[in-house]
Amino acid sequence: MRKIGTFPIVVIVLVAVYSLTKWGIPAFSREVTTLPFPLPVPGTLMLFYMTLTVIALFLMVTFSEEGMQDFLRPIKKLLRGGYGQIARGVVLLAIPLIGAWQMYDLTVPRAQVPASLRIQHPSSNFPVSFEALENPFEHRSDADVDAFIEQAKSGEIVFIEQVQEDIEYWVDEWDPDHVLEFFANDKIDAFLAQLEADEVDHEVARAALHQVDLFEGRALYAMNCRACHGDSVAGDGPMADGFKLRPIDFTDNGTVETIVVGYTFWRVTNGGPGLPTEATPWDSAMPEWKLSLTEEQRWKIILAEYNLAQKTPRIPEGHE
Amino acid sequence: MKLPEMIKAGALAACAMFALTTQSNAANIPAAPMPEASEEFVEAGRGIYIERCSFCHGLLGDGNGPAANYLDPRPRDFTLGTFKFRTTHSGELPTDNDLFRTVSRGLPGTAMQAFDDTLIKNGLSEEERWQVISYIKTFAYEFEDPDLDPVANGLVISLPDNPAPYTPETIARGADVFERAKCWSCHGMLGRGDGNAEFREDDWGFPIRIRNVTHPWKIKAGGEVEDIYMRFTSGISGTPMPSFVKSLDEADRWDLANYIKSLQHDLTSHQTLKAALVDGDLPENPADAMWDGAAPMDVRLTGQVIAAPRWQNPSIEMVTVQALFNKTDIAFRLTWDDPFKDVIHDEGQEFDPVELMQVGGFNSYVEANDMIPRALETFRDAIALQFAVKPPNGTAKPHFFRGSTSDQVHLLVWMADQVEAGARGTTEGNARGWKQAIKPQAEEGQNVTGGASWDQGRWSVVMKRPLVTEDKADVQFAPGIFIPMSLNAWDGSNGEHGRIMSLSSWYFVFLEAPTPSKVYIYTVLAFLVLGALGLWLTRKTINAKENEEAEA
Repeated sequence: MRKIGTFPIVVIVLVAVYSLTKWGIPAFSREVTTLPFPLPVPGTLMLFYMTLTVIALFLMVTFSEEGMQDFLRPIKKLLRGGYGQIARGVVLLAIPLIGAWQMYDLTVPRAQVPASLRIQHPSSNFPVSFEALENPFEHRSDADVDAFIEQAKSGEIVFIEQVQEDIEYWVDEWDPDHVLEFFANDKIDAFLAQLEADEVDHEVARAALHQVDLFEGRALYAMNCRACHGDSVAGDGPMADGFKLRPIDFTDNGTVETIVVGYTFWRVTNGGPGLPTEATPWDSAMPEWKLSLTEEQRWKIILAEYNLAQKTPRIPEGHE
Repeated sequence: MKLPEMIKAGALAACAMFALTTQSNAANIPAAPMPEASEEFVEAGRGIYIERCSFCHGLLGDGNGPAANYLDPRPRDFTLGTFKFRTTHSGELPTDNDLFRTVSRGLPGTAMQAFDDTLIKNGLSEEERWQVISYIKTFAYEFEDPDLDPVANGLVISLPDNPAPYTPETIARGADVFERAKCWSCHGMLGRGDGNAEFREDDWGFPIRIRNVTHPWKIKAGGEVEDIYMRFTSGISGTPMPSFVKSLDEADRWDLANYIKSLQHDLTSHQTLKAALVDGDLPENPADAMWDGAAPMDVRLTGQVIAAPRWQNPSIEMVTVQALFNKTDIAFRLTWDDPFKDVIHDEGQEFDPVELMQVGGFNSYVEANDMIPRALETFRDAIALQFAVKPPNGTAKPHFFRGSTSDQVHLLVWMADQVEAGARGTTEGNARGWKQAIKPQAEEGQNVTGGASWDQGRWSVVMKRPLVTEDKADVQFAPGIFIPMSLNAWDGSNGEHGRIMSLSSWYFVFLEAPTPSKVYIYTVLAFLVLGALGLWLTRKTINAKENEEAEA
């Protein structure tokens, strides 16, 4: 095999390093991140890589006098016309043209669209008092469970008004032994069986009440949040396409899972206008739900939201 | 040498990337037919239905769940056995696969979303979808009648064996079919859903809109040619959309589907409207030919769901904006589809949102049909261009929904009834948050002129203003800066007025600045310096060679 000259090696290495950083790394990034878009190498980093490459090549070329001569040979030959008049003319014209183009590119005023970055979980103004909040419907008090058992025994369960009417229609149509039979749910069935046998276990009742809370939370979610965050809490509701900052996808790892439930409550309560300035509150369509929903409604929605997303909130520090 | 191997590896990696980007769409055809619906299977479906479907479709499957009243179109009433999107002949029941397709990919433009777990993380598996379908089928007795089974009775429509390709010729043939079959009598000559002079009703008495076939994101049962073909072959039950299976042959229907597909609008994706500098006067007439040269930007709008009264049935979901400017003025042209020209405004029928503004009320959304009149000759059509007053400071802007008390916005509000009354069409106003109405500026601060026209289901409105004004509450336009811009829009016959409207997030308008002359000077200098260097090196190299030879 014929030995490859120093000059072609220099050119090949430069082209290879440039291609790798410009296209190779971004292409490979998609493989690693599984995101639908490539992550480009920042300009300063590219400059760094290219500078290192040039220094390395310079050292290689100037290491010995022969190396230097070997590198310069094809250049000298070209300039003397050894590759023909046309080749020399083309190179002598192309280099100033490329240089001029680079100069134009560098000096022409280029307007940068102001970036609107999304900051995940901005917390510079997150009130400490919300940090340790617990969802009152996550673990119902004994008094609540007792009241629920009494209601269930009398068959007069008090549902939120939003679902009341639909349940009444169902009862009118089916005339069931117990109103809770509209559920198709193991935990409710277990509770109903105990109720019939008049041997109600407190924890079984608590689990059944949890199902009622989830049902009500899901109804409130469907009425209030679904339009943007979607049926399946994936941030893809019918209104989502109109917002530049798309509604959050709760099924995504790194959203509701990584925050304490008090933070979720704070975000639902104060919405976009409650965000700190670094989180661009002016681009957020999240409403201040405290203006429309009671605390109880907000907590029930959050209960249902985590359940729909199949996620659990982060446990506050010191509360493990 | 390792280099060729590296190149080979790189090429392989590139091929793998390409394969990743061309993944096929998620399957909406089941891997296996619906399993035998045992009692346990249906009961499992009932469990899913209660958790995922009942809030819209109701515990009884009658389309009356707690969220139903707020939705247009309303959720399907399963008890009637009438289904819109089928691959069966007019009036027949859907096949299992039809139901599977709807549950899997949802109905774009409605509240019915995709439940396919290959599309969304917590969707339903194929088995779960079959379970819930088996339960949904128990709501209508028709599904139990073997005489009505569309598959057993050969009532399923198959796609043509050799469908015509999607070419200019077949599209042109389809345009003839569109004319001949009188599709335009409902859908309008240009497909914008403006053929009827009044609302149509569905079988349940609710007003329905004739589909604007140019907006692909609203095509419920799929915008591909085979989906479109299926719609006018099967008809859409419960609506005025008939089956054309008797009046048009298979080839005609396929050509027509190609034509309808060709009408679909391609959305632009940029976020910055580039205003072009022109010589001479700016056009105030929206039909002026100068507008053809202005680059368009499509702005997506959505229902105003940020504050009560919330509205999730917006009619205007896209407005195309263009801008031109000269040394003194700037003009915007806003274009959007609206099948009805609403130029009357009856304040007496405006909605009082006081009940919806309460904390803990039944709901803070406006009902789709009962709270507000959705009828012609009730409310006006209107549109507003909104700008940040202060030039942007870093990323800081006012809130896109009318700013805030500390950061006001400037709005140019055009109202169709004002134009009709001979008044100024566009009024300038300011807002500091959504809680108060837009405050019109004083008469001497009103600087906007322009024109408007409504033609074949499309409004075009021009707003023209001086680039710079004396008023501190006005936006000031200057080349080279990004000015935040957004839209509010109202379709009167859709019941929209006040905060019942559609709106967009922030976009930008950018006036292109002329390139400074120093850029050209530097560029020419760079060329000359490099050229001279090359010639000098050439000279030197040749001389060195000659010297060597002379010495030798």
